[in-house]
Amino acid sequence: MREVDSETMKIVVCVKQVPDSWAEKTLGADNTLDRGSVDAVMNELDEYAVEEALRLQEAHGGEVIVLSMGPSQTTDTIRKALSMGADSGVHVIDDGLHGSDAVATSLALAKAIEGRGADLVIFGSESTDARMSVVPAMVAERLGLPQLTFSSSVSVEGSTVRTNRVTEYGYDVVEASLPALVSVVEKINEPRYPSFKGIMAAKKKKVETVDLAGLGVSADQVGLAGSWSAVEEAAARPPKAKGTIVTDDGAGGTAIADFLSAQKFI
Amino acid sequence: MRFAFTDDQLLLRDTVREFLANECQPEQVRYTWVADSGHLPEVWSGLADMGVLGLTVPEAHGGLGMDELDLVLLLEETGRVALPSPVVETTAVAAPLLAAVAPAEHRERWLTGIATGECIVGVGFVGTPFVLAAHLADLVILERDDRVFAVAGDKLTLERQRSVDGSRWLFDVDWRQADEIPLVEGPEGWHEVNLAFDRGALGTAAQLLGLADRMLEMTVEYAKQREQFGVPIGSFQAVKHQIADALLALSFARPAVYNAAYAMRHGLDTHSRDVSMAKCLASEAALTVGRTALQCHGAIGYTTEYDLHLWMKRAWALAASWGDAAWHRDRVSLAVLGPRP
Repeated sequence: MREVDSETMKIVVCVKQVPDSWAEKTLGADNTLDRGSVDAVMNELDEYAVEEALRLQEAHGGEVIVLSMGPSQTTDTIRKALSMGADSGVHVIDDGLHGSDAVATSLALAKAIEGRGADLVIFGSESTDARMSVVPAMVAERLGLPQLTFSSSVSVEGSTVRTNRVTEYGYDVVEASLPALVSVVEKINEPRYPSFKGIMAAKKKKVETVDLAGLGVSADQVGLAGSWSAVEEAAARPPKAKGTIVTDDGAGGTAIADFLSAQKFI
Repeated sequence: MRFAFTDDQLLLRDTVREFLANECQPEQVRYTWVADSGHLPEVWSGLADMGVLGLTVPEAHGGLGMDELDLVLLLEETGRVALPSPVVETTAVAAPLLAAVAPAEHRERWLTGIATGECIVGVGFVGTPFVLAAHLADLVILERDDRVFAVAGDKLTLERQRSVDGSRWLFDVDWRQADEIPLVEGPEGWHEVNLAFDRGALGTAAQLLGLADRMLEMTVEYAKQREQFGVPIGSFQAVKHQIADALLALSFARPAVYNAAYAMRHGLDTHSRDVSMAKCLASEAALTVGRTALQCHGAIGYTTEYDLHLWMKRAWALAASWGDAAWHRDRVSLAVLGPRP
């Protein structure tokens, strides 16, 4: 167990750049997402993760490092987190990472977090493009950290982190000793907008870039070739079928009742 | 001369655009028609936190010490969402004027208040008889005869006036002479008053661009979606040519507004003429776009429940504020051709 000194508490927030949620997404020739064709934004849930990290820093002091893996335009997402108030950034970038699945991604992220002396690692609970919700758990497993996922509130006291873990019936109060890994849901807070001063200050903040060699990960452990899962084929969603139109000739009510009963609503 | 906004200016604009798109929705603007405020306090404090309201406040007073060129794109965004709150009056007009002429004992409190969002300022210059949002103002700056002075909001007697745009709460104001805090008296310092007026006209022109841009966007969306005779109405020449003409008017007005901001920022001799050209073209463009939008929307454009209504009436109100197109065209004529014989 580690006693957290408020002066040195170190929080690593993992953020992902994703295509704008409302944009039409397409797949490239290798069945990976075509990132060039759509506007890229910070994964919405990760904004909550950054906000929570900043709130913990405001309450306890320490340092917030934002970590992201992705191609070169990912710097925009890292800058956004820095303009919200994070202290520095780490950008994991390597062509060999292209097409990594969740398992491979978790390896790269874990290697990037390892050795930074993080007391707390914070994730958004899922990304809006992949929607797997597994990366936080995988990273925790690889780092040997306790995982407190789907948190709707987080508090740190001494060397203990306590969260409300959202469940189907409400929430569980769970706690773990630091260092630990937390993933947050959107109920947790209201992310701030970057201020002009924050935007200007962000330009001077340090962003470290790390490639596969720097992580000590070999090319066959990540990327399309190193992934355990691969997309074999994809098809466009079929267009919505037209609904049935019943013209009421006095038996409209019966038609509705028949429909509802066929669907087992009544 | 090659003129382009800096990456920073564009980044600040995008940040404000994202904030306003999320936080200043049409239903909120609609609400200010009936709610007892004509103001969106959460949006106001969000703009203060970002640094928008204090953009022109000197850094010594908690602002960013930036200028007309930095502000013009942001005001355009406030127009795009039809923000009803008095941001032109407070940030574009009052902050630089007060920084220049406010008495030392009030300066800190007023300017810091503008930057934090706590001090809302109303402005009533000659030619603008009614004061926007005077009921919310902590301070109202008034021009009468050859003097400009401030009066604390709680010393005013207010009488609400009807506005064509229900989200603009306008007031006739009265006060006791004893409550006047002098800012400028006589010809000395009047230069600052003229600059303040030009900043008001420029800021309003920028808002008109944003309003017009949004109305045009609504119209294009509608013309692509609404079908008649089995095809979208936008495919008819009679519709698309009108929309193209509206875009043309807006595209001619926009550079004039940016040019005026440049002239103000650099104190060019031509700044008043440039501001007048900008306000004239922006007013006419917004009215043209509004009329086109209304016609292309057909009957639905006339309903108060449809968003276009809110934007168009704001455009009407702003086109007539801080000098209408004819008044500014006269000022351009005077600057270029000299007095009429």
